[in-house]
Amino acid sequence: MAREKEESMQVSRRATRSSTFSANNNGIELGKPNDSYIPTLGDLVFGQEPISLDDLLSRFPGRRVQILELLRLLGTLNSSMPPLFVYGSASTGKTSIIIQVFRHLSRPFVYTSCLSCYSPRILFESILNQLLLHKKNAFNGYSSAKRCEKPSDFVIFVREALINVIDSLKENAEKTSTSKLKGQVNGKMIYLIFDNFELVREWDKSSSILPFLFGLSDILKMPEVGMIFISSTSPDTITKRVDELSTAFSLLFKRYCEPLSDLGVLPNGEMKRRLFSHLQPHIAPSLNEIFRVASQPCLECGVNQETRRKGGARKSVGSGDLDDIGFHMSTSAKYLLVSAFLASRNPATLDASLFDTTGVSDSRKRKRKASEKSLEQKEAAEQELLMKGPGTFSLERLLAIFQCITSVGEEEEGNDGLRVDEGSNALMSDILLQLTSLCNSNFIVKGGSCPLEGSTRYRSTLSEDLAIKVARSIKFPLSKYLYRR
Amino acid sequence: MGKENPAAEKASNLLRSRLCDPNFVVKHLSDSPDSNYSKLKFLVSSSVTEACNNSILLLGPRGSGKIAVLELILTDLLLEYPDTISVIKLNGLLHSDDCCAFKEIARQLCMEHQLLFSKMASFDDNSQFMIEMLRECGLAHKTIIFVLDEFDLFAQGKQRLLYSLLDAMQSVTSQAVVIGVSCRLDADQLLEKRVRSRFSHRKLLFLPPSKEDMQRLLEHILSLPVDSSLPHAYAVEFNKKIKNILADGRFKEIVNTLVNLDSTVNHLLRFLFLAVSYMDLESGFLSFENFKTALSNSHRQPKLECIKDCSILELYILVCLKRLEVKEQNSYNFNSVMKEYKSIHDSFQTSDYYSRNVCLRAFEHLLQRELICFTDNRGYSQSVEFRPVKLLISSIELHQGLKSYCSCPVILLKLVER
Repeated sequence: MAREKEESMQVSRRATRSSTFSANNNGIELGKPNDSYIPTLGDLVFGQEPISLDDLLSRFPGRRVQILELLRLLGTLNSSMPPLFVYGSASTGKTSIIIQVFRHLSRPFVYTSCLSCYSPRILFESILNQLLLHKKNAFNGYSSAKRCEKPSDFVIFVREALINVIDSLKENAEKTSTSKLKGQVNGKMIYLIFDNFELVREWDKSSSILPFLFGLSDILKMPEVGMIFISSTSPDTITKRVDELSTAFSLLFKRYCEPLSDLGVLPNGEMKRRLFSHLQPHIAPSLNEIFRVASQPCLECGVNQETRRKGGARKSVGSGDLDDIGFHMSTSAKYLLVSAFLASRNPATLDASLFDTTGVSDSRKRKRKASEKSLEQKEAAEQELLMKGPGTFSLERLLAIFQCITSVGEEEEGNDGLRVDEGSNALMSDILLQLTSLCNSNFIVKGGSCPLEGSTRYRSTLSEDLAIKVARSIKFPLSKYLYRR
Repeated sequence: MGKENPAAEKASNLLRSRLCDPNFVVKHLSDSPDSNYSKLKFLVSSSVTEACNNSILLLGPRGSGKIAVLELILTDLLLEYPDTISVIKLNGLLHSDDCCAFKEIARQLCMEHQLLFSKMASFDDNSQFMIEMLRECGLAHKTIIFVLDEFDLFAQGKQRLLYSLLDAMQSVTSQAVVIGVSCRLDADQLLEKRVRSRFSHRKLLFLPPSKEDMQRLLEHILSLPVDSSLPHAYAVEFNKKIKNILADGRFKEIVNTLVNLDSTVNHLLRFLFLAVSYMDLESGFLSFENFKTALSNSHRQPKLECIKDCSILELYILVCLKRLEVKEQNSYNFNSVMKEYKSIHDSFQTSDYYSRNVCLRAFEHLLQRELICFTDNRGYSQSVEFRPVKLLISSIELHQGLKSYCSCPVILLKLVER
């Protein structure tokens, strides 16, 4: 399938440097990686066999128009071009298409990604290293060829480096080469490719760096240098994000093929309609499930759903799994989560009444006739809850609620099934460990610090559905304690 | 195939290199006596010959050819007066910091006069050096021309460079010409009082060329030279076809649309480059369709295209946000959008009702595509659902986008129109 090919190409693209290493190393040296590898001009090209145009077009289905336009803009050998800005939203294939086009044309280029080169200095040094054919290895202490921080220095260095490269390209072009070798370099132009360019906006000095990079071609005034910027802002997509849909598609496709006994036969119009009607009831719940990360392997999931389907009537596929949280947690961690949720949702002043020793006295307070004003207030408060989000609480409050809940839970369970209270001293350190692991998994995040005391406050990021699920699994009556105005 | 191909390739390369080279265009535009080229040349050459100081600002929108004209003048002058001129070039993007600027001046002066440049020189050393050099060159009757590109960026901060330069020109026996180039038409208003008083208020405006000039320019650029290495018959045929296209009324329409959008020469050149890149290399001739395709491709509206490629759920979210905006709530976040979505679903019984997770993911896609964005910068401790957002497209764009969406549900159009 095209996707697999693309994945393998992704792998090969990211490994460009090491692949050129291995391509040249085999001939030159063995066992002495330190000093015998001499980078040549061939490193500036993709480093693997060039591919034909048909190959290029078939690797990227649906991108024929863009590839042809790109080829036209790059033009024939040695034709100059103004800077090119390629944009599209994520995973639309911009970077891989450009690199493959350069592979097809066998033209030398310098690739830098503003994702891995996250500050101007690293960006400049990476470009200079590639142009000066300098490799960071143990021999030179992993340092760059030149230290370059300011744009003014960069312009001076890069101009020198580009002149050198272009001269050697000219020499290379004059030597005739009859066969297409691996790593053959075509032409006298060199191209600078800046990937993930939208990230430059978020750098510190972006207001000066951004116009500088855009104006670099004017500043350099070298017609033998072409620039290509790849960005994901100003998007221009044609296909939707393939990576997210692919998981759903594989499952759906399997189900699509079920009634077909013979998968070799291409379905005609009539069959397609039947197949689609067979598939349709599964599409909607499957779409709703797309973003559930399956905790069990896919096969099991498929089997599960099969048995469920055979068992009952048209039960929607997802509903059976709703009660299951999908991950495992210890009981005390669940109690902690629930207390964090309560602490975030309830205002602190209610704690005393909700969590007194008896724990059931608040039900009387709720039975009030709802007057119109209080209804309005209720709506406003609900709106506020929607807007502001969960409140912050301090650590002491969390632990206090935790203590109350576990003691309540004990009473309700009748002292069985709950082994939390094995020595309250040991309990506390355990609990703090659990708390840190909950923080690390982003169930509890650090909110702002309290302005008076300066101690950190926490905030629970649990959604109400998940909290209800967790509470149900430890048989804790969450609704009784939730402050509903 | 056959003999047309290599000629066509050569022709295409020639045209492309012409379009990427600013000098070619400017040479053509500058032969009339009252053009900016002649005025500037007169000014600079007279200050060289009469050994006086001068300063001037070149102003005009980006891409109108200011630096190109300047380069042309400088090359001409260096040919005319070979030993009496040295040129120092500074760029506001690179050298707006005063230390950096003085270091660069010192470096270029050293390169010109074959002196040793020390990287360790301090700021004071460099500025002293510059003043000394000015004095020496003045005594030797040599002119130094300072070209300050992106002049408005030098006028930020304390303007120390500008002040010391202009001050030196007035107090020391120097012969210097300061030429500032800027795309801000009010660049001289940015100067401090003491700097402005030392600055002669000469300004040269670079206006867009007139229609006749434009026409002549087009013909000049696109015509192939008849007596070059290209086959004669091919070149003549090519030029004839170009003449026909240029005389066509529809082509004039295209040029008018372009000029209305952006009347600088650079914009026209980019458009021509696109058209030339679409040239059919087999036949080797430019056709009217090439220009038409180039026009449609050069005027992209990214936000509209973005909406066209949204999924229906994302459109729903955008419409919900629009409605919330219309209701004039001061801030809204994902939860309020979900509430609105639910109310639409309840009142209109639409068939597209997706679960919260899917909606959240669609919301995140919209954030990535920059159709909506967060309004707070500090709220990183809150999850995505609670941070306030705002729409980044206007209602007109949304409306247009929905109309041009191929399978837009009718309900959305109705909701947006209300």
